Amino acid sequence: MQNLAGRYNMKFESEKITKGTSMKRTLLFLIVAAASVLSTQINVYAHHSFAATYFEDQKQTIDGKLVQFLYRNPHSFVHVEAPDDKGVMQTWAVEWGAGGQLSRDGVTRESLKPGDHVIVTGNPGRNPDDHRIRMQSITRPATADAAEFSWKGVVQ
Amino acid sequence: MRDCCRIKNSSLLLVAAFITLPVFGQGVVGEFVPDAGFDLSGNWNPLIHEDFLERIPGPELVNYSGIPITAGARLWGESWNSSRLTMPEHQCQVHVSPYIYRGPLQMRFWDEKDPQSQKIIAIKNYISTYEQTRTIWMDGRPHPPAWAAHTWMGFSTGKWDGNVFTVYTTHIKQGWLRRDGLPESDQATLIEHFMRHGNNLTHVNIVTDPVYLKEPLVKSEDFVLNVNAGGNWLYPCEEVEEVEGRPRGAVPNYLPGKNPFLTEYANMYHLPLIAALGGPDTMYPEFEKTIKNPPPAPTNPFALAEISPEPQKNMALNPNPTDGEVHVLPVQGNIYMLVGAGGNITVQVGDMGVLIVDTGLAQTADKVIAAIHTLAPGKPLQYIINTHVHADHTGGNEKLRAAGVTITGANVTGDIADASKGAAIIAQQAVLDRMSEPSGTKSAVPADAWPTDTFLGDRKTMFFNEEPVEILHEKAAHTDGDSIVFFRHSDVISTGDIFVTVGYPFIDLARGGSIEGELDALNNLLDLAISKHDEEGGTYIIPGHGRLCDRWELIEYRDMVTIIRDRIRADIKSGMTLDQIKAARPTMDYDARYGADKGFNTTDEFVASVYKSLGGK
Repeated sequence: MQNLAGRYNMKFESEKITKGTSMKRTLLFLIVAAASVLSTQINVYAHHSFAATYFEDQKQTIDGKLVQFLYRNPHSFVHVEAPDDKGVMQTWAVEWGAGGQLSRDGVTRESLKPGDHVIVTGNPGRNPDDHRIRMQSITRPATADAAEFSWKGVVQ
Repeated sequence: MRDCCRIKNSSLLLVAAFITLPVFGQGVVGEFVPDAGFDLSGNWNPLIHEDFLERIPGPELVNYSGIPITAGARLWGESWNSSRLTMPEHQCQVHVSPYIYRGPLQMRFWDEKDPQSQKIIAIKNYISTYEQTRTIWMDGRPHPPAWAAHTWMGFSTGKWDGNVFTVYTTHIKQGWLRRDGLPESDQATLIEHFMRHGNNLTHVNIVTDPVYLKEPLVKSEDFVLNVNAGGNWLYPCEEVEEVEGRPRGAVPNYLPGKNPFLTEYANMYHLPLIAALGGPDTMYPEFEKTIKNPPPAPTNPFALAEISPEPQKNMALNPNPTDGEVHVLPVQGNIYMLVGAGGNITVQVGDMGVLIVDTGLAQTADKVIAAIHTLAPGKPLQYIINTHVHADHTGGNEKLRAAGVTITGANVTGDIADASKGAAIIAQQAVLDRMSEPSGTKSAVPADAWPTDTFLGDRKTMFFNEEPVEILHEKAAHTDGDSIVFFRHSDVISTGDIFVTVGYPFIDLARGGSIEGELDALNNLLDLAISKHDEEGGTYIIPGHGRLCDRWELIEYRDMVTIIRDRIRADIKSGMTLDQIKAARPTMDYDARYGADKGFNTTDEFVASVYKSLGGK
């Protein structure tokens, strides 16, 4: 164990990670733990770790054109062409809920179409080059031919 | 630490109660029937409050607290980049049986009984997460041999110890210890205890992994009976292209010391990093003293001298028979695998006769011939394909060829002129070039062992035993004459030594091998193989040495070779010498599984071959 300690600089309190993050995770625990007592059907389970994949304490918004909507399990994806913070156009992979979750929320395969103008907000991925986001909300503003579409929630 | 202590505290009493239970594996299981009410049959839902943060939102990066990992496992985890899960081949990675109970949506137990005797044959357990079905054999059958394939759930046998249902599992695929990058090796075994208390079920899970754990890892989970069998029972997983434009074969990883998230978890919970890094010490109450007085931080934490010198001895089970005999393993379709003859031999059997891939060592040729006769009595051995030139794959050429025959006039053999001289030996031209000598010069290999039918290009095809067979040349990989053989109807690939499960790839630089060619060949193999369900089954892979595999083992092996290549390439770029690179241990996270400090293709020799192949001086 001495050798392990010797490998790392034990500096604490990085700028990005705050006490609030751990508080949020604790709160999430309390909410879902309470739900688990009340229900025998818990459907919140990610095949991968969200904490390991996304910056859960950060938010990012992109505004662009939807190029693909993959309505699937274990998680759906929308791909959006939108500029990054440097103005360079990128294709973003936005992870959304499983087909079952979206179905319960009233989202269908027909809800979004390629070419739709969408505004997406979510947690950015830990690897900037991947251009990934974990969805928190998506809005398609109303047009002359289509009503507004909006979804907001926690991807399960 | 909170997570670790919760695991530890909740499990201590159970461990104390059951750690002395006898380990069993192959013995006959009794006919004990549990007391009324102890039957596991029914539908169960998880109670997820225990270790919730790990189980539902998912563990944080570099949160290894309370897990008795080795230094190799720690480096594996630190190098793991979550972007790896965006690769299509990783998106549907199933949680192995020691981990899957951390997050099942629902599960069901039922008994499988012999319809005649009503004796129990197996207890079945369907887990909706990844739609996995475990078969826990109760009929006393032995576990498969070491050269058999592994699965996500492994091979399980069970017995009742009083009212405790105890299960022993082997043959598990490589997977997670924790899904933030901590690996569990394919050498892990599992003992479980299922205990029913009315409508509640407690599951205690004891993982032993000689590669990545220093001590057994004990976890527990609770379930509640669900008399209403509704809810989600399906968990389809469909891989997609999540990240566009990634170069072929690229495997996201952090070079040693470059993981930007090393301290994130420790900072979040105000822990010394030494606690987050795990290891057996972090499981015990005495560790509190270390937390209060952590060792001083170094000024240069990633200096070479400070990289853990902990030895990583190869702990993997020998996947070869030890009785000196040649053994037959049915694969699927027309294909069998022969083990115990040096390199693995693939045998295709059908109405037209026998085709084999490689012939093993010279001294085992008679046993190979006998094994083929038992598989295909009276059928002619018509074709031998050599995957490469090495003697552990071609040593039996002469005898096997003599034991066979080429039937001139058959639909694929009309161009072969030496029909009376035995089976045809097919290989890429480079194999013949390295075996043969010009007329008048004595060759080390007798002429009757040379390939009789060579091809110069990248591909040769045959149709034999109602099956298309593709022979695909892989340039400058293990050697310069490598071929892989794809049985398209049986859906089996024989890889030669491009892929082995017993060690690092041998890059035979003297015979034209190269690390980039090796990686290209591994990626080509991945392109050919298609899994049946969530990276299991489908195309089976017969490696040059070691156990039967499917696509998942290829994926992990390709990842490993790529990551090691990336590290050595970066070290060369930074100006390090070969000796400095060896001292930096660029293979440390894999040495306990694939390394060798003596004998053939030692770890140092492998590192040197990669170094030289990448242009290191």
